[in-house]
Amino acid sequence: MSVDKKKLEEGLKKYQNQQKKLSLKYALLSAAGILGFLLIWQAVVKMGLVNEARLPTPVTILETLIYKVSNESPDGSVLMVNILASLQVALTGFLSAIVIGIPLGLFMGWWEYADRFIRPIFELIRPIPPIAWIPLVVVWMGIGLQAKALIIFFTAFVPCVINAYTGIKLTNKTLINVSKTFGASNFEIFYKVGIPSSLPMVFAGIRVALGNSWSTLVAAEMLAASAGLGYMIQIGRTVARPDIVIVGMVVIGAIGAILSGLLSLCERRLLKWKVNR
Amino acid sequence: MGSKQKERVHAILYWGLPVLAVILIVVAWVLFSAQHPELMPDPVSVWKRLIKTFVKPIGNTNLFGHAWASLSRVLLALLIAWAFGIFFGILIGWNRTARAIFGSIFEVIRPIPPIAWIPIMIMWFGIGELPKILLVFIGTFVPLVINTSAGISMVDKINISVGKVFGGSNMQILKDIVIPTALPSIFAGIRTSVSSGWTTVLAAEMLAAQRGLGSLVTKGWQGSDMALVLVAVITIAIIGSLLSFLLNKLEKVVCPWNSNK
Repeated sequence: MSVDKKKLEEGLKKYQNQQKKLSLKYALLSAAGILGFLLIWQAVVKMGLVNEARLPTPVTILETLIYKVSNESPDGSVLMVNILASLQVALTGFLSAIVIGIPLGLFMGWWEYADRFIRPIFELIRPIPPIAWIPLVVVWMGIGLQAKALIIFFTAFVPCVINAYTGIKLTNKTLINVSKTFGASNFEIFYKVGIPSSLPMVFAGIRVALGNSWSTLVAAEMLAASAGLGYMIQIGRTVARPDIVIVGMVVIGAIGAILSGLLSLCERRLLKWKVNR
Repeated sequence: MGSKQKERVHAILYWGLPVLAVILIVVAWVLFSAQHPELMPDPVSVWKRLIKTFVKPIGNTNLFGHAWASLSRVLLALLIAWAFGIFFGILIGWNRTARAIFGSIFEVIRPIPPIAWIPIMIMWFGIGELPKILLVFIGTFVPLVINTSAGISMVDKINISVGKVFGGSNMQILKDIVIPTALPSIFAGIRTSVSSGWTTVLAAEMLAAQRGLGSLVTKGWQGSDMALVLVAVITIAIIGSLLSFLLNKLEKVVCPWNSNK
């Protein structure tokens, strides 16, 4: 018996070592993939296969990025100001969509009459791509923070409502019946059973909304703005500076990735109870 | 008697409320446009503008021509993206080495929104058809790869082991076990890719194009012709809903086991 146990432990150790080696190998391969991609890019441009005025090398892009941290040209703001301007717009629209959209979706999912009344209005707004709202909103409200935030609002609002609605509709009927048996009022059940059980779906909606907000932001700023990352890209294009354009793209991508990472963190914190089930 | 009365109230509310909502929207539109004609054209002038797009074509083609210009761009890009995206998704979902090498590059490029590619595409390729199709390709490729590779890597290990025990080759396991299991997930990718493509093509056309619904929006906007903007936006919304309706129908044909969930 003891021999067997020893053998088992040895085998387990061997297996764990193997797994460790494998994950190291794959991590190295990933790094090699990215490095190789950048090296090929650099080489292709340096060898003259692509005109450097059209596609700057990764090294140039890094230099421009460092330059933009403390210089205002060509778009009139340093990088940090642009980032903050974009974040302000995106988060204003995104947060107001959460504050309005999620309660609305929950409400529609729980009370049938609310659903019957709001749904036609919602279904009229839903199929319009947020980008198509830009001209209308600009004519109504100009190009200030409110106008851009409203465009972001439209894009984040739809997934918030749909997911909150679906989430609360999927509430386990048994749980509802148990609460009724114990004498809970309809509102109490909504609050204590419906909302918690809809949370995973709500979070999925928030994730989609965040992605939408960030990508629509770029469009809003390209069409009408005076600062922000999208504006910086647009100016980079007008003055024929591809390095500025690519720096803008890289920063937008990086911030998008960071935001979605932060959201995952929140989700794991708030939905701890779900994992343990 | 009491329950019957209750039922009647329920029926009135059930059918009355949606009708009321639609009426409210129309009334709000008419009232608002009567007070601020420069901000919002009234329904009648939108209708007249719609007729005018056929009588007096813009850019040598009527509304259908513009819609078809947008649609054909999306369709062409979608066909290319479906072929490459599903193949690439299967590759990085199935082979860990490929996932390590190419997946990492993909993960770096993925968070850049397709719309952010527009300026650089215009700088590289001008404002012809190629940059627009490339843009839609980028916008549709990403969701396809994510969904396909997720679907492939979520296949139950036991099913793969059974395939191995019964002497299936790697290729056979992939073809007969893994891909059918991942089909609903791949279809979710296709669905996302269509709506993402439809949005991206509009953005591309709004920034630079002669034809297409997006260019109509920009033309109306620049010429302060809000009726034209509304005609274009409504057409865009209708086509978008039709596309998602068609996909729903298609999903029931391609993976019928998925709709009962």
